[in-house]
Amino acid sequence: MGQFGLGQAITRKEDARLITGRGRFTDDGPPPGCAHAVFLRSPHAHARIRSLDCTRALSMPGVLAILTGAELDAAGIGPLPCTTLYENRDGTPMAAPERPVLARERVRFVGDPVAAVIAETPHAARDAAETILVDYDPLAAIVDTGRALDPEAPQIWPEAPGNLALDWETGDAEAVDRRFAAAHRVLELTLVNNRIVVNPMETRACLAEYDPGTDRLTLTVGSQGVHGMQRILAEKVLRIPREKLRVVTRDVGGAFGMKIFVFPEYPVCLHAARILRRPVRWVAERTESFLADTHGRDHVTTVSIAVDADGRMTAIRASAIANLGAYLSQVGPFIPTECGAYMYTGVYRFEAAHYRVRCVFTNTAPVDAYRGAGRPEAAYAVERAVDFAARELGCDPIAFRRRNFVPPAAMPYRTALGYTYDSGDFPRLLDAALARADVAGFAGRRQAAAAAGRLLGLGVAYYIERCAGGSPEEARLELRPDGRLRLYIGTQNNGQGHETAYAQIVADRLGLPFADIEVVQGDTDLVASGRGTGGSRSIPIGGAAVLRAGERLVARARERAAEMLEAATTDIGFAEGSFFILGTDRRLSLVEVAAAAGGLEESDSFQPEAPTFPNGCHVCELSIDRATGVPRIERYTVVDDFGVVVNPALLAGQVHGGLAQGIGQALLERTVYDPESGQLLSGSLMDYVLPRADDLPAFDFDWVVIPCRTNPLGVKGAGEAGAIGAPPAVINAVVDALAGYGIHHVDMPATPHRLWRLLERVGALLA
Amino acid sequence: MRRRLRFVLGSEPRELGEVEPTLTVLEYLRRIEHRRGTKEGCAEGDCGACTVLVGRPVEGRMCYRAVNACILFLPMLDGCRLLTVEDLRAPDGSLHPVQRAMVEAHASQCGFCTPGFVMALYALYRERGVARETPIAEWLAGNLCRCTGYGPILEAAQRMHAVAQGADHLEAREAETVARLESWQDGETLAVGREGRMFFAPADIGSLARLLIEHPDATLIGGATDVGLWVTKQHRRPHPLIWTGRVAELTRVEDTGDGLSIGAAATYRDVLDRLAALYPDAGRVIRRIGSVQIRNLGTIGGNIANGSPIGDSPPLLIAAGARLRLRRGNRCREVPLESFFLDYGRQDRRPGEFVEAVVVSGPGPGTLFRAYKISKRFDQDISSVFAAFRIDLDGGRIASARLAYGGMAPVPKRAELAEAALVGRPWKRQTVEAAMAALERDFTPIDDWRASAGYRMTVARNLLMKCWLESSGEIRRRLDLAAEVADG
Repeated sequence: MGQFGLGQAITRKEDARLITGRGRFTDDGPPPGCAHAVFLRSPHAHARIRSLDCTRALSMPGVLAILTGAELDAAGIGPLPCTTLYENRDGTPMAAPERPVLARERVRFVGDPVAAVIAETPHAARDAAETILVDYDPLAAIVDTGRALDPEAPQIWPEAPGNLALDWETGDAEAVDRRFAAAHRVLELTLVNNRIVVNPMETRACLAEYDPGTDRLTLTVGSQGVHGMQRILAEKVLRIPREKLRVVTRDVGGAFGMKIFVFPEYPVCLHAARILRRPVRWVAERTESFLADTHGRDHVTTVSIAVDADGRMTAIRASAIANLGAYLSQVGPFIPTECGAYMYTGVYRFEAAHYRVRCVFTNTAPVDAYRGAGRPEAAYAVERAVDFAARELGCDPIAFRRRNFVPPAAMPYRTALGYTYDSGDFPRLLDAALARADVAGFAGRRQAAAAAGRLLGLGVAYYIERCAGGSPEEARLELRPDGRLRLYIGTQNNGQGHETAYAQIVADRLGLPFADIEVVQGDTDLVASGRGTGGSRSIPIGGAAVLRAGERLVARARERAAEMLEAATTDIGFAEGSFFILGTDRRLSLVEVAAAAGGLEESDSFQPEAPTFPNGCHVCELSIDRATGVPRIERYTVVDDFGVVVNPALLAGQVHGGLAQGIGQALLERTVYDPESGQLLSGSLMDYVLPRADDLPAFDFDWVVIPCRTNPLGVKGAGEAGAIGAPPAVINAVVDALAGYGIHHVDMPATPHRLWRLLERVGALLA
Repeated sequence: MRRRLRFVLGSEPRELGEVEPTLTVLEYLRRIEHRRGTKEGCAEGDCGACTVLVGRPVEGRMCYRAVNACILFLPMLDGCRLLTVEDLRAPDGSLHPVQRAMVEAHASQCGFCTPGFVMALYALYRERGVARETPIAEWLAGNLCRCTGYGPILEAAQRMHAVAQGADHLEAREAETVARLESWQDGETLAVGREGRMFFAPADIGSLARLLIEHPDATLIGGATDVGLWVTKQHRRPHPLIWTGRVAELTRVEDTGDGLSIGAAATYRDVLDRLAALYPDAGRVIRRIGSVQIRNLGTIGGNIANGSPIGDSPPLLIAAGARLRLRRGNRCREVPLESFFLDYGRQDRRPGEFVEAVVVSGPGPGTLFRAYKISKRFDQDISSVFAAFRIDLDGGRIASARLAYGGMAPVPKRAELAEAALVGRPWKRQTVEAAMAALERDFTPIDDWRASAGYRMTVARNLLMKCWLESSGEIRRRLDLAAEVADG
């Protein structure tokens, strides 16, 4: 293993530009003559549009065009598709109302775009937008997930009576019923998985350009993969041949699932560029980002667990209401169904499991993927319910988990919901985490905290998730005669460090200098295909494709080397970037071979036969101030199994970032829509609490390598894990801190206010 | 009048004749200078992605402050040096120690917030003395990152001094900058603008007074941390603007023997240590106003003069017994600070008049002074309720009491009935309880999205009790933490 090989914590290629301010994000450098788009958005959560009058706005100085739903319809643009539609459990199709690019007739959430003004300057566009007259007839709104199905709730879509979009299930209900009937105890818990505003630091933005000569459009946009964006925008929304749209993604300032999707602003800007024959740029203000990005989570779930007389969990049943927002987002219905549904057995030997979810419409921003996408919801429900069950049964939650774990000897293990875990050693990771967290010393620390007026709690969560399954990824390697290698791949870096990680894989296997490897992503003209980044798939699938392409390149070069060395191919060895005749010192470097061949080029793809199942144990020690209710994380320990590790520093970065988001969800981030007016009350960084530097503890992170058996690199996806494990670990710690006062559950976010009220209610407040 | 704006960008001088008065430094950098390393994350001074350094010569050396470029107007750079992330690399292309520390600690992921963190850390790097005293998390309260979880950035902050070897390339060539900026220091009023929209920056108090008489409807700005948001959030373009930041007399903080005279253009940063020396609690709450970047811009005078009912400085200074010095032309008058606030949005400031200074005396031997900022979070938040109390004890009796509140009325206001319930009585629980009851008649707070009326009243009462409990030793611990009132 070389200095830049696999497993080395080398510093990032990306940093050379990002640290010096030379990164190039979507809005860094609009072309000359660029026009500016501003969107007029609904101020109402729910209203009929009686009329829309742009006359005055059109006469304002600097205005170039105003687009409304009517213009887009006339141009044959839209609607925005949902690509993941399901059948209800009774076999009928789900409600799938169309989502227009710009609202017509009705608006359904605060921030719903109604019109776009394109003008010479952003100021001119904004001034004009203010003069558009929209006559709204406000209607009653429903924003609350838990009440969307109530018979008296305001109705949003005629296609979806009772606001029910989809009633979906998986698992064996009868088998579960039988075990519940035979159970020694049944424990049931209802919990809220709070809505999250994604808030990447770079808001969404796009630049649309049109070349009349070739009748070709180019969209520069912060995405998680240009090919999906190209396919949907061209074929489904603009209805033009795919090759007539080039999509480019440069540096992306954070995405977290949300930047996968086609949003209304993109086709509007493209159409505007086409009719104006000018570049058109749009950048979301932070408040627009709050209002009109897709949000994450927002489930209310009831989980029941059947336990036999020996304290073994036999069956689990979960029933969720999942908020999809006002419209079906691109993969909105996928998140609470197939994306997370099959994880409701966790790391335990449930004999039977059943999960049902009712997806509902509300007058809120559409909900879609956010770091983890469905799996955090499952892990939170399972790990809270298991912890709750243990406590109700009077068992130690750690011992209870251990007793119910799928044992390592059972691997590969097929779960009651049909997944096969290829590998995993849960007891080993649990022990490692408990040792690192010094759980043995917890009782003493709890006593010391009590003396200082703080309630100390210990929370353990053992998450497992599914990632990096499904679609293939292709990698193309171009080794030029001068020895420089270019890797073309259709995943998309959003901060994970792909350029570094892929270059490491190439450097390791091809023996080329790390500095000579360039990674090319984010341009449909340069990269032939790709499925993008999401679901922690880039290294497990993309990395495997890189590895395979590298192997092909070496095989091709070996043949050339054999000719050049006048030996049989089978007598040619390859190591550290050079071919040699076995048993001799005659050698040729890969670069020499490439030079002689005038360059070498190979590509290959990898499609996993199964997803990977990263898993790990989180231990959170948290104290609550008995006078103020303020929680503080005192220690946080994670031991993960991500299989083989490519770059420990990048890995730690992914875990830390995920933890920050998971802890943010558990303690700080609260998205509030006013229940009456449907206004987003937490609509700025002043009102919505993103974790700051002093909100987070130092993390103790370690890993155990249990190689994945279904992936040639042996890696398991790592991008989402922290955000999946943290919420249950933190809330389990909160509940443990309060358990002495008969508190069994606290919903997220466990803010000081919420905790203070609880302390007050149970008489635990320190006066 | 000088019709050209002069500043140094990196190491290049800039002279601009035509300038939109409310053009932000961020927009100027990105759109006109094509320096796109500085980012917009929120356009309201919350996220810090736009952090840049503004330096001025002070006693022959450059003094740099990290500020938010997103709400800073370009003409406010007059006579300054602006440093952005693009300036940090050495001429040979090598990374600055701050940047090296960031790389080595893996402190960047998506890279969008990174330039802002680099510049915030560079400010800390240049203020090595401050670095030892200020917790790094406090220093970085004005910078948000969604990717890293902050640990690696804090590590970079620790590491950068170890990476450093002597003066960096910017420090090494600083004499040149100092000389240039000093040579630019003139007594002329800067007057720049565009299409009749003007920005004035007088250099002395007489010129300021004359300008205000000529332009009584001008918007007077100190740090523009509020007016900046009118521009970026409400899309207003106020003009003419008159900026106080160059007026030498107004930027001073002077010792008066028994207290301080704080020039209206002195920033929170300028005042913090000196006011904290008089009243430690004042330091404690000022440290929580905005962030480092905001405190480097925002002025005490601006916080008073804009008349917000939820500004933190007015109740703080009212309780301390401050007086406000106002000036119109050559005529000055002094009023008790509390009488400056007439009604919501209305102050006792006549056309052409401006706040010159706020004069505050120190505590006496029997003074008890407490200040409490109650907000949803510790840093970077607007108060739901702000309370400051000055209670002068004579033996066990209350000789005088000044209880000032923010967020309880349309203006910052003293609780006169509660004060009356205290004065002349012993400093005892029963007295305090009587004053708490009187508070109900002093105030009729309103419900808004920050807090309900009931919450405000409960907190206002309880803060008085808290003050007594702390002073009487019944609770030893200061409960520093912000209360969360989102559901309140």
